[in-house]
Amino acid sequence: MKTLIYNMELIDSSNKTLDELDYLILASGSDSRAYEVLSKCKSISKNQVVFFHFIERLDGLDSSDPLFNFKKYSYKYIQEIYCNIKNPSSCLEEITKNKFNSSTKIGIDISCLTKPYFYFIIKLLKERFAVENLSVFYTEPKSYLFPKGLFNAFHTSSGPLSIFEIPGYSGQEKRGAKRTLVILLGFDGDLSKEINEDVSPHDTVVVNGFPSYTPKFKDISLITNEKLVSDHNIIVSYARANNPFEIYNLLQMIKDKATADTFINVAPLGTKPMALGACLFALHNPDVRIVYPLPENYENKYSDKSWNSWIYDLPLIN
Amino acid sequence: MKDLYRNPFSGVNAVQLDTDLILEYWCNPFLYDLFSEIKEYDIYNDTNNIVLMGGRSTGKSMFLRYWSYPVQLKISEKENISLNEIIQRNKGVGFYFRIDGAKLKSFQGHGLSQEHWTSVFTHYFELIVGRQYIEVLNLLEVERSIDGKIITAQLIPKLCGLLEFNNHTSLENIITEFDLRIKEVEVHLGNVPFYKKEFVPKDRGFLSQSLSFGIPELLLSVIPSFKNLNLIILLDEYENFLHYQQKVVNTLLRFTKPHTKFRIGMRLEGFRTFEMISEDDFIKEGREYRKVVFEEVVNKNSGYQDFLCEIAKKRLESIPALKDREFTNIKTILGDSENLEQEAIELAQSKPNKIFEQFSKKFPKEDLEKLRCPQNPLLELLNFIWLSRGVTADQTAKSMNDYLNKVKGSDDGEKYRRDYIDKYKLTLTFLLCSIYRTNKQYYSFNTFAFLSSGIVGHFIELCRRSFSIADWGDTDTLLAKGIIKKDFQNKAAIEFSNSEKQQIGRIETYGGLISKFIVNVGNIFRGFHLDIQMRYPETNQFAINVDSIQDSELQNALKAAVRWTIIQRKPKMQRSGPSESLQDLYMLNRIFSPSFQISYRTRGGKSISLNEASLKKLMYEDKINLGDYLIVDDVQPKGQNKNNSPDLFSNI
Repeated sequence: MKTLIYNMELIDSSNKTLDELDYLILASGSDSRAYEVLSKCKSISKNQVVFFHFIERLDGLDSSDPLFNFKKYSYKYIQEIYCNIKNPSSCLEEITKNKFNSSTKIGIDISCLTKPYFYFIIKLLKERFAVENLSVFYTEPKSYLFPKGLFNAFHTSSGPLSIFEIPGYSGQEKRGAKRTLVILLGFDGDLSKEINEDVSPHDTVVVNGFPSYTPKFKDISLITNEKLVSDHNIIVSYARANNPFEIYNLLQMIKDKATADTFINVAPLGTKPMALGACLFALHNPDVRIVYPLPENYENKYSDKSWNSWIYDLPLIN
Repeated sequence: MKDLYRNPFSGVNAVQLDTDLILEYWCNPFLYDLFSEIKEYDIYNDTNNIVLMGGRSTGKSMFLRYWSYPVQLKISEKENISLNEIIQRNKGVGFYFRIDGAKLKSFQGHGLSQEHWTSVFTHYFELIVGRQYIEVLNLLEVERSIDGKIITAQLIPKLCGLLEFNNHTSLENIITEFDLRIKEVEVHLGNVPFYKKEFVPKDRGFLSQSLSFGIPELLLSVIPSFKNLNLIILLDEYENFLHYQQKVVNTLLRFTKPHTKFRIGMRLEGFRTFEMISEDDFIKEGREYRKVVFEEVVNKNSGYQDFLCEIAKKRLESIPALKDREFTNIKTILGDSENLEQEAIELAQSKPNKIFEQFSKKFPKEDLEKLRCPQNPLLELLNFIWLSRGVTADQTAKSMNDYLNKVKGSDDGEKYRRDYIDKYKLTLTFLLCSIYRTNKQYYSFNTFAFLSSGIVGHFIELCRRSFSIADWGDTDTLLAKGIIKKDFQNKAAIEFSNSEKQQIGRIETYGGLISKFIVNVGNIFRGFHLDIQMRYPETNQFAINVDSIQDSELQNALKAAVRWTIIQRKPKMQRSGPSESLQDLYMLNRIFSPSFQISYRTRGGKSISLNEASLKKLMYEDKINLGDYLIVDDVQPKGQNKNNSPDLFSNI
């Protein structure tokens, strides 16, 4: 088994990575954790900040919404990219205007970026600008909002959804291959079922985030995904919810055990750090496909208060 | 014992199954007379293309995969004959294809034109079809069913010529070449979002028909044993194909060759377009294809129920803990049919006077007393309703007694029997539940068969949930007696119903509109079930002329609801009422019945009649006026509420 020596740290006052960045990329959002990392950045006036604004998120918001709190900071350089939440590659033209290169120190705060977007941006930086390392930031939510109660339907997205390959992560399927689908479990049970049906894998592995941010989360994800989890053909695994490298290693283990004609699909429905681990794994293994249910919209606010902020060092080259 | 048990109904999706499991779970629908439009012989031999339409989980994938060569190869192994022999026996060979929705959607966008994507997709489609043809040849070569000289001297050179693959000397090499070219497309799909450049194949690009029809023509001309064979392309989940992708395949349907035909599986209304690549042409049912509707089994209960029993039996037999004790009859495990009288007695047990008390607010107690029937609350309720309809207490009592005592030649007794047994028994149960403010229970094999709405997958899911709940709640009864309590079955039905209802909103297109529509229509039907006069018992269908709807959003939403089997169109046009004109009739998928507490049967008779305006309200408005959807006729007794107001249905 390959072992990845990784680095993840809590962001505290002694952490200098934030202040050494050339670029910080992040998305605006109404969640209280949206600007937690930004607020910890002492040298904001030196960094170049690239902001993604999802048009759909801005719809109907008044100027007092916490989403606009980013305006209270003063920036040396700020690029605001307005883009469509359903189409990550729509930001291509704007983001490639920046002068990234392999030695540029880039940080991405994925707390409010949607998964397809940060997947796209990370691969773009690797493919087009030969960026070799990234610093990825993430602030854990203290809790999620469960409008219908803890163990009932929870949706981070709303409206009709459609299952896509995340742009740039199509994978390569050998003809007649046996499909394995690895679902990183979230709370939205409908999504996992839908993806499992669309991919129709030979084997399904579900990965529950454990230890989770708080103890109850691991149970909620199992209960809301009951139909899938109770299926006797499903293998349940666990990986720490806030550690992308555990997911990476788990996926590596699945790949090592699989036969040569296995086509691995990953559906990153769980936490963003877990999704980040899958992203890194797919970057290092281009034959792996990432599938994701792209909704019409995401809930503007689905988490409550902030918890820890983490920094992950991401080696884009294997 | 526990170690030998797992849920027999979990984890079986035809697309995911190994070929040997396809065989293990295969139940031949032709043995149950489920389809009048198609015979088993037609699969390989019909000279027309066939489109198999049905909702999700109606068994289309299982059906299509069964005829494909990997499954037929398994059959040949079991029968100890060669693949070639079974192909000759079938007079054809089937090639199964399913491209998942996510993959299909990756062939679009990124600033490239649709014309370009059409070329890329056509190239890809031709490659994956062509590759399977060569795979079968390879299998036949391995078992020496084709003369080696023909392969090396004629077939391979001609294939290389057709494919412009250079100097390959074996079929395996050709398959590898196919794989490289397919991979070239997939690598492009992975890169195109970052570069937005057009796909340019390293070697040649393949045009429509070049391989899908070109290779079969070559095989028929070169291999003597292929001369009388049909090559059948079994294409699944056609509804997932994008509009332009369907145009590509529609064009193939138009130009199919005498020995190469399509069998296409799709949802109802799964054609996004009937257009072909050339814009002025289109395909037409009856000309380019004929249609077989899988869901029509809804109306043919006997064969369908036997079919379900057989499917369940195969699954139950795969579990040692159940097979060893001969718990393999799903009818015995769930109970054959529901016992409404027993349900009513249990309901009324704690408060036996409640029906009496309700009616005593409006009717003389001395009349009501004559009509009490504590041993059967349904009869008591029916008596009170007769009284409310103007039949005297004495006449009602006599009719009931004649019925109960089976008095020969009594018209009164016979009329009472007809009302109770033939017409209102289930409706009375719904009303009784409403009086006792509790929910109707949904349980038994018969009920589950109805709730499944002709969708085998729904029946399996109802069983899966029942077994799952029973396994948690009372494993001993399940494994020792082979019985699942009706409470558990009911819980399974309610949970599945709610889950299906909740998921409507997630449908890719028009999910929001359909969701609102179903909630509104479901509540209207619920209203009919609460009518104490029982004028329109078990009403759960509506009539509308879809083609006359001008608003394309409304029309498309309704079609999407059919495609997702949220609503189901009855095969023949009917009148929604005696004085109405013929219209298409639709019913709610019966799986929603537990959510709305309505009947799982369709009795015919009354249905609500919708037009564009009312449809718009039902799709866009949260709150609707029940009275708008009821046409009041003269059945209503004089002196009572004669307008269309909602209190028409209020409890007494």
